[in-house]
Amino acid sequence: MPALRVSALPARLVRLVEDLRRKEDRLALVLSLVIGALVGLVVVAFILLTGRLTALMYPAGGAGWRRIVVPTLGSLITGYLLYRYFPLARGSGIPQTRAALFIHDGRISLRSVMGKFVCCVISLASGIPLGREGPSVYIGSGLSSVIARRLGLSRAQTRALIPVGGAAALTAAFNTPIAAVLFSLEEIIGDLHAPVLGSIVLASGASWMVLHLVLHDTPLFHVPDYHLVSPAELGAYVVLGIVGGLSSVAFVKLLLWLRARFAKMPRASQWIQPVAGGLTVGILGFFVPQILGVGYDQVERVLNGDVVLKVVVTLAVLKIIATSVAYASGNAGGIFGPSLFIGSMVGATVGSVAHLLFPASTAGPGAYALVGMGTAFAGIIRTPLTSVIMIFEVTRDYTIIVPLMISNLIAFYISQKLQKEPIYEALARQDGLHLPTSSSRTHSAVPLVSSAARDVPESLSPEMKIGEAAERVKDSALESWPVADELGLVGMVRTRHIAHAVDQGKLEMTIERLMQIARRSDGDKAVALPHVHNDQPLSRALARMRENGHKVLPVVSRANARIMLGVVTFGDILKEFGVDNAEELDYRDHPDLGT
Amino acid sequence: MRDMRTPLVQPAAPTPTATVSEFIATLAIVLAAIVGLVVFDTALARVDVAARKTYAAREFDIGKQFVGKGEIAAGLEHIRTATMLDSDNPTYGIALAQTTLADGRPAEAAQMLTPLLERNDTAGATNLAIARVLVNEGRVSEAKSYYHRAIYGFWPKGAEKNRTTARFELIDLLARENATQELLAELLPIQDDSTNDATQRKRIAHFFVVAGSPARAVTIFRDLLRHDPRDPESYVGLAEAALSIGDFATARTDLLAAQKLMPDDSSSLHPRIALTDSVIALDPTQSGLALPEQVRRAKNLLQMTLTSVRKCLGVQAPQVAVALDSATLLLVSGAAAGQAQSVEQNLSLAEQLWGLRRSRCAKEGNDGALALIHNRISQ
Repeated sequence: MPALRVSALPARLVRLVEDLRRKEDRLALVLSLVIGALVGLVVVAFILLTGRLTALMYPAGGAGWRRIVVPTLGSLITGYLLYRYFPLARGSGIPQTRAALFIHDGRISLRSVMGKFVCCVISLASGIPLGREGPSVYIGSGLSSVIARRLGLSRAQTRALIPVGGAAALTAAFNTPIAAVLFSLEEIIGDLHAPVLGSIVLASGASWMVLHLVLHDTPLFHVPDYHLVSPAELGAYVVLGIVGGLSSVAFVKLLLWLRARFAKMPRASQWIQPVAGGLTVGILGFFVPQILGVGYDQVERVLNGDVVLKVVVTLAVLKIIATSVAYASGNAGGIFGPSLFIGSMVGATVGSVAHLLFPASTAGPGAYALVGMGTAFAGIIRTPLTSVIMIFEVTRDYTIIVPLMISNLIAFYISQKLQKEPIYEALARQDGLHLPTSSSRTHSAVPLVSSAARDVPESLSPEMKIGEAAERVKDSALESWPVADELGLVGMVRTRHIAHAVDQGKLEMTIERLMQIARRSDGDKAVALPHVHNDQPLSRALARMRENGHKVLPVVSRANARIMLGVVTFGDILKEFGVDNAEELDYRDHPDLGT
Repeated sequence: MRDMRTPLVQPAAPTPTATVSEFIATLAIVLAAIVGLVVFDTALARVDVAARKTYAAREFDIGKQFVGKGEIAAGLEHIRTATMLDSDNPTYGIALAQTTLADGRPAEAAQMLTPLLERNDTAGATNLAIARVLVNEGRVSEAKSYYHRAIYGFWPKGAEKNRTTARFELIDLLARENATQELLAELLPIQDDSTNDATQRKRIAHFFVVAGSPARAVTIFRDLLRHDPRDPESYVGLAEAALSIGDFATARTDLLAAQKLMPDDSSSLHPRIALTDSVIALDPTQSGLALPEQVRRAKNLLQMTLTSVRKCLGVQAPQVAVALDSATLLLVSGAAAGQAQSVEQNLSLAEQLWGLRRSRCAKEGNDGALALIHNRISQ
């Protein structure tokens, strides 16, 4: 950054800036507008560059071999770039954005942002069937983070700007400002009442403005007016909700399963893994070109009623496979766009069958494709409110909202039942990140674990003999002890189990062996690593204690569950809730619980 | 599972510090970046739009060629691509709707046109396309309204020609619907519009005959003959007008005049001349006929009408036809008070029967002469 001497600046400007920096609300207002405009323009550039590069890769009337070679080469190039230079730019960007928000104090490096931009342009232009919205959110949030840090803002202010940039990016990527605001609140922050709402709205508005300035009022999809033909048609939308929910679960499970398989492969193969996705996509795309790329043109065709039943069924199935393989193998791109594609094809399938059976009382398949988009979004991304508003904004038509809501909620419910963990949380967990869920965030008003946690007591090692361990814990009133190796926490062992082993004369048995036996005897209650996080409510800690029978739980880092930050005991929790318990209170003063 | 894809621990965030100058410099860089990006994005968007428009135009041309060859499905595919690539171009949208209509999907075509109409409800082309869809769906009264909007709507190019096309489509529709009053209302404003276009004036004159205003048709045809006395079509038009008012002799004269002007290609006139001849031979109201001849012709006309009515009602309700036959014979045989009275009674009865036939039976080609005579009697 060029160094400016303060003395060279007009005194009035310096005073103005100093005043602005002191007043956080004004600063937030100004930055929201600036970030909104900047992010909007960057995302527009991202979309346009991707489009132009795609046109170069796949010229009209181009040879069929391109459809195999281009995605394979694209994934090879991005695979190497991601492995060598931009490891954070893999995948969607939403879990990484949330990790930045909840774990890294809002820090996203400029290098990651640039990596995401370059890799996603190459990846998406080469025909990898992933979306641009997730990466856009990461780019937007990353730019916010970079600007905030360069401006010397506090960590809290930097964190607050992460969803602001995300909303601005999504607005530009999808031309849906309200849905972008909701998505930021519902998915990124996980709290619809977040205090940054005003900033998010402003940034979204600024982004929308620049989007219109450059690309004019061009909706993502041009959709005819659809409406409910008869009340009985709601039955068909219920069926769509069920099919959409099941398809969503199938997609999520396949993607997570494949990703887990790829993650088990040797680390040295990471640079070549994306090629597996690229080649799969290429082979499928050679026979069915419509699955290449994000596929919004195909979605628009279907939304406009250009539906052949056999084709839409094939596309729904192949897109699920292609996207799962491409994402799981580590290509750069999101699942936001593919969700809409899959949903529209599933919707068109249900709509075609419904219209075939009841032509007089059902709308054409295009209407179902439209509702299907929202349904799959609700089932896969698990943001039902955003999905309804998003479709409303895309179509600008109110009449389809009621069937959309019904269908969405059914898909959301089925998805929740059959796939407990939402996809972004599951992806983060696969990467070792324990991000807060939306439900855990809503408990912020109640006492948190951090308020009752105490420092880490001395831990036992897994190789320690029972005799030595018994000696260590004999004067302690703690009912469970943390067991840790050089990499961190490995589990908890109960004091009474140690005492029981001593009684049986198994003094040479290791703590690790004792834990294994205890786990077997616990059966269903056994948890490999029972723990809580600092920002979880105490009620969650009590529930965990009930689930696994430990009256002491380790408090661990969200970035790495093996890093212990403290412990929380049953007695401490009772005391925090104002319940007197003299026996438990004794733990506080016990020497073993000291630093 | 621990995966190295996403490093778990990033370097700790630096302690936030920035001097005023750094703060200002950062803001200045960001603002400069915004300005630069506006320029860059705008240029890129222009390139993108131009490329898309070119591609769309190519696809549209290919689509039109396919449609021209009757390959509607293939044409539809290309026109749809053109519409998606350049959605701002209403020509593509309208062409897509019209091709979809030609593909036998009027509901979809209407759905495609609705957003175009919402975007610009005064666009003549869009309104005309919607009118065509509505005609296809049998919603004639709504179609008329959209035809009017097309006629008085905005046409960026070739407004006069397009308005005339729209008006004549409406006129055709009204003629088919036999809405003579509305037809006349459409014809009157344009009767003097095309003084230099003989073909169009002949069309107008023809529709005046259909609208029940043959006198206006005669005026136009005579005017045309004044400019071109050797125009056989104008003579045929005059004959048509004369037939509609029951002036069969004049019609025959005009047809023969036309035949003289096109001796090499008069085969199309032969059936009309033959029809006129048979009408003249059948007409009981023709002036100068002796009473017995009038009686004979009246009876003949009644008999022919009866046969025609029986033929049509016999298919639909045989009992009604038999009853009708008996009653008619009884009436004719019992009404012999006088020859003149008999003529009157037979003609009156024939007219009633014809009215019945017209209300209950479809038109038949070989009833042309009967129709013309009854038309004259009713006048």
